[in-house]
Amino acid sequence: MLTLVIGGSASGKSEYAESLILASPARPRYYLATMEVYDGESRARVARHRAMRAEKEFETIECPVNLSALTLPRPGAVLLEDLGNLAANELYSPRGAGAGALDAILQGVDRLLEQCSDLVVVSNELFTGGSSYAGDTEAYLRLMADAHLALAKKADRVCEVVCGIAQY
Amino acid sequence: MIFVTGPLYSGKREFARTVLGCREADMVWDVQDLAAGCGDLEELARKLENHPVVIATEVGGGVVPMDRDQRAAREAAGRLACLLAKRAETVVRVFCGLPTVLKGTLP
Repeated sequence: MLTLVIGGSASGKSEYAESLILASPARPRYYLATMEVYDGESRARVARHRAMRAEKEFETIECPVNLSALTLPRPGAVLLEDLGNLAANELYSPRGAGAGALDAILQGVDRLLEQCSDLVVVSNELFTGGSSYAGDTEAYLRLMADAHLALAKKADRVCEVVCGIAQY
Repeated sequence: MIFVTGPLYSGKREFARTVLGCREADMVWDVQDLAAGCGDLEELARKLENHPVVIATEVGGGVVPMDRDQRAAREAAGRLACLLAKRAETVVRVFCGLPTVLKGTLP
């Protein structure tokens, strides 16, 4: 089952997505971490999320780019967090797919779905803060919008999290 | 406590006045602005809970700002909103003046 969880900054989307994985009977629980750690702020964010997952039996796998190359050790439940970082890495990182970012992401999700029974993808609400953006930001927003539309079509469930409460 | 959230100028206070029948003295609004730089969001949420109606503008949507302080302010506002929603008996999101009940029931 594929679930797409979307929310704004600190909307409680991570905690909600985790609760979906915890409710799944599938084991093991994998946490696919997409953020490239590059400064104190990102380190603090990783530490915060690791603490939230403490004692919840998640196996963390770092996966900043090239999701489709990932082979899970065993089937299980997967929390992919988050699409915003994965998309930025695919688009802008030297190791990313660049112009092929959308295909890389969607193929990666397909590949994961073949390998697990439950997949929860966390993503970011980026589209209500304005309607006119320049160059790089515009390309990134377009990629994220296309990814959202494609994943929402494929997903069994799509929700938006508002102050910790999911709306389907 | 009833927690009312929603985008800027979406009719949150008007909803509190007309639908909830709340007097201005019984509500506190723009609490998202209290979160930035607040050392203890739990304590802030506890204090705000004493108001019958607490109103926060949603500020976490859209492109994440480049500016570090703005990012931190959005994060803090989002966390405060989650804490208030947990404490509230009722949570309502007002969008274009239209309320959606996210938690509990309207009195």
